[in-house]
Amino acid sequence: MTDWPTAFEAELLRLGVQPARARRLADETAQQAAENAGAPGDVFGPAHLYARHLVAELSAPAPEAGRTRFGAGPVMLSLSGVSKRYRRQTVFADVDLTVRGGEVAAIVGANGCGKSTLLRICAGLTRPSAGTVKRTRRVGLVPQDGGTAGWLTAEEHFTLFGAAAGMVPGRARSTGAHLATRLAWRPRRQQRVQQMSGGTRQKLNLVLGELHAPDLLLLDEPYQGFDQGTYVDFWQQVFAWRDAGRAIVVVTHLLHDLQNVDHVLDLGER
Amino acid sequence: MTPRPWLHGFLDLCLLAMLRERADYGYGLSQRLAAAGVADVPGGTLYPALLRLEEQGLATPAWAPSEAGPRRKYYAITEAGLDVLGGQADDWRRFRDGVDSLLSPSEVPHD
Repeated sequence: MTDWPTAFEAELLRLGVQPARARRLADETAQQAAENAGAPGDVFGPAHLYARHLVAELSAPAPEAGRTRFGAGPVMLSLSGVSKRYRRQTVFADVDLTVRGGEVAAIVGANGCGKSTLLRICAGLTRPSAGTVKRTRRVGLVPQDGGTAGWLTAEEHFTLFGAAAGMVPGRARSTGAHLATRLAWRPRRQQRVQQMSGGTRQKLNLVLGELHAPDLLLLDEPYQGFDQGTYVDFWQQVFAWRDAGRAIVVVTHLLHDLQNVDHVLDLGER
Repeated sequence: MTPRPWLHGFLDLCLLAMLRERADYGYGLSQRLAAAGVADVPGGTLYPALLRLEEQGLATPAWAPSEAGPRRKYYAITEAGLDVLGGQADDWRRFRDGVDSLLSPSEVPHD
């Protein structure tokens, strides 16, 4: 068992904090604990959890000036009066949602309230029972699971999905590899999808959804199986997409992080 | 004391307001918050908030020795901090007045 400051610093490094900064934060945290006349573990709780909390806090957007918001762009997705029924069962009714370029929308609600169904309607894979859906042409969908072939490698997926979007193989592979590094993932050449962990598989899904630079990204709980550090990276990635002018819809059952999104559609509350 | 979720939105505001009065260090600020009856803020909430204010340029730190124990990091409010404080104070008053108006019994016209 390592001591608290060492474990804290190690976790900061693992989360991608620069070494000098991690050292400084570890020193300061030790002094803060001393200020409170307590052991770090008593003041801050477990070292690795506090490291994650601190990193998340520090990456939160600044008030006012801090967030460079571009004016909302063109409408990328528009739902109006959308309902879904299966036989007599109404899953949801009268959903309105407009998402513009440069905006993030979150679809939240308990399990079984139709979040994934609504996302599939946004993608045009499922037909609504009523209402209208308008969307931009270039859409990327990241399903909760599936959509990948177990016996193929990550690179083969990049080639395959790239081809479907009209990209030449070399460019699809290099784009895929580049997008993967942004999620702190370096695909191994020989590794097939069936040998990947759940978290890695989700990263593959995320890269595939973004491979053809869609204007509208639809993400269905794409961070299931991510560890906390990657989870933080995931949201940073979402905000990077947003700042690049894309529209993003995220299905989630997690309620933190919602203060930074532009629209919250709560299917459970309706 | 204040339920934690409430404080979350207003901790920065409280910290900036205290720093406007005088520069202070972490433990001193937590005692002032407690003495004001606002909240008992755990270190794990307070120190990240202070660090965030520092990195956003709203407060600037200076190290000073203490009579006993380790040196202390004193924070002073910056010009940008004062601006943000002004804006957030307005937000807070609007919010407080709104809640008050919901809490107080509605005025029944006398006739």
